[in-house]
Amino acid sequence: MAENDISIIHPRPSSIVAALYTLRDLNVDVAILHGPPGCSFKHARLLEEDGIHVVTTALDENGFVFGGRDELSSLLCKVNEMFDPKLIGVVGTCASMIIGEELREPVQDANLEVPVIEVEVHAGYPNNTKGVLIALESAFEAGVIDEEELGRQKVLLTEATNVEKRHGAASKEYLVPSRGDLKYKVAGKLIDCLKEGKKCLTIMNAKKETGYMFADITVAINEVAKELGVDENIINMANVDENLGLPRVRNHATNIMNDFKEKGVPIHEIIGGMDEYPITGEKVSKLIADKYSDFELVVITGVPHAIPMDNLKEMEVISVTNGPRQVFPLKDMGHDHVVVEIDLHPKTLGVSHIVESEFGATMRELAKDRLNDSQEES
Amino acid sequence: MAQKRIAIYGKGGIGKSSTASNVAAACADEGYKVMIIGCDPKSDSSITLLGGKRIQTILDLLRQKIDVKEEDIVHEGYKGVQCVEVGGPEPGIGCAGRGIIVAIQKLRKVCKSIDDMDLIIYDVPGDIVCGGFVAPIRKGLVNEAYILTSGEYMPLYAANNICKGLSKINTPLSGIICNSRSVTREEDIVKKFSEEIGSKLMAFIPKEQIVQDCERDGFSVLEKAPDSSVASVYRELAHTIMSNGSSVMPSSLEDERLRELTR
Ligand SMILES: Nc1ncnc2c1ncn2[C@@H]1O[C@H](COP(=O)(O)OP(=O)(O)O)[C@@H](O)[C@H]1O
Ligand code: SF4
Ligand SMILES: [Mg+2]
Repeated sequence: MAENDISIIHPRPSSIVAALYTLRDLNVDVAILHGPPGCSFKHARLLEEDGIHVVTTALDENGFVFGGRDELSSLLCKVNEMFDPKLIGVVGTCASMIIGEELREPVQDANLEVPVIEVEVHAGYPNNTKGVLIALESAFEAGVIDEEELGRQKVLLTEATNVEKRHGAASKEYLVPSRGDLKYKVAGKLIDCLKEGKKCLTIMNAKKETGYMFADITVAINEVAKELGVDENIINMANVDENLGLPRVRNHATNIMNDFKEKGVPIHEIIGGMDEYPITGEKVSKLIADKYSDFELVVITGVPHAIPMDNLKEMEVISVTNGPRQVFPLKDMGHDHVVVEIDLHPKTLGVSHIVESEFGATMRELAKDRLNDSQEES
Repeated sequence: MAQKRIAIYGKGGIGKSSTASNVAAACADEGYKVMIIGCDPKSDSSITLLGGKRIQTILDLLRQKIDVKEEDIVHEGYKGVQCVEVGGPEPGIGCAGRGIIVAIQKLRKVCKSIDDMDLIIYDVPGDIVCGGFVAPIRKGLVNEAYILTSGEYMPLYAANNICKGLSKINTPLSGIICNSRSVTREEDIVKKFSEEIGSKLMAFIPKEQIVQDCERDGFSVLEKAPDSSVASVYRELAHTIMSNGSSVMPSSLEDERLRELTR
């Protein structure tokens, strides 16, 4: 058995959903869920906001018993007419996989000109990265990605799984969700530190599109520092390499970089691509040891638990996550303040610019108040 | 020589497993590299090739969450026949069909020697009852399907249904084998049936007590009674299968016609 194979009892991300998001990253126009009508509803809905059509074969009790080959092939034809797609994904579900449905045959029956990525996945895998892997392997078979990208993604997936097992949502049998520390308090603390002239590192280590919101925190810190006249004290790191990852993911990096530039936020260290959040840790650690070991404050956003603590021990650590179950693991790692951006993901779908974060907004407001107060005093 | 990967279908209890193991033994006698993969939760396909011994099934091991290796699930039987049993849940619990799918996937993943075989026999349970039972075919593992039947109405009825199933999943039929139950005009009836669905009768295996005697002792006829007449029938069938190159998409008969045939 694999190391730390514990039986986790809190609800976990689903492999089916992971496959759907992967198809989105591969730029499919339509994803068909082959299974029960309500399967993965919430995420299917969100993905529509991100511009892809998600439909379902809506298998019912009869479908479970008699199979849904015809339903799937006719749905393929239907979506082909309705949406005129360039690329289609078909995703299995527990229901269809248990009864042994084949995805290949209905795809052949439909006989479309459009390439179809078939993902035979169900939600019974302990790590949702399995859904990503199966989707990528099928994409490779369908000629949508090349072998090099597949190999690169496999490394990232293994590391992503390890990161979750070490300090993430898969690190304990049960993790209590938490809303984290009060944003108002943490923002105040952060502003105080800046005021005192402490040197501050910002590390954005975000997973793909979530970067649209985590980047706002980097921006807010830089804005506030500028107002306080201490912007020289800030060093920004971010995983926004525009040349790494699937096209859609690179595009996010470009969008975010453009916004950084426009807002006058310099990114001093680019620590990887937007899908490389599981492997940036080492690099960041080394950068800190080489260049920034005298910094007193660090703000880590995105996937903060992927950054090792070794070289952060002397610093005050503020982290911002979007996972309520991530709060306690981060505190266990030694982070002093943990802030949760609740419901971040839905707000980062279907956007191409940085979106405002609650923590960023709190910081801006608080800085404004304090500046006004001090002007009144003088 | 191209690898032969066959499955024998037919009504439950008609003799699929005993025919499969005897054919496997006969082919091994000829020097072929043979693997038999038992897909019945009863796990009784390979017993007579292993001197009556039962082996651990793939699903036994998967249930214990053991990291399954080739040597744990592939066991050497009579004259080097490689024996594998898929296994399954207790009767009435869980989903045996899904079990077959999962076990076959595992086997494909860990078993390297499968590529070196001349003949692989999938011994499948009863009729095609659900998706899992045709997983070997669907996953492209089987390239020839045979149907075993007697000249009785019910086995023929099952055979006829299997023909419908095969054409539904686009799998051609390579031949009909008659396993006799000593019915009158039996060979004629099965021959007619074979022709009317567009296939051919490959062999007529007589009903012989010795088949069951050998089975009870844990052996194939080929091993325990190589000089018996039924042993040479199995030998001939093995030869026919190994040299058979033709297959057809079977049609099926109306029920009335089936009754008429067996009247
Ligand atoms: N040709 C035969 N002569 C006598 N008995 C036979 C013959 N073929 C099969 N049998 C017996 O019929 C029984 C059922 O056979 P089995 O192979 O288990 O059927 P299946 O696998 O189709 O369910 C066994 O006891 C077997 O020995
Ligand atoms: S059990 Fe599986 S198939 Fe059913 S709704 Fe949940 S994820 Fe979908
Ligand atoms: Mg049997």
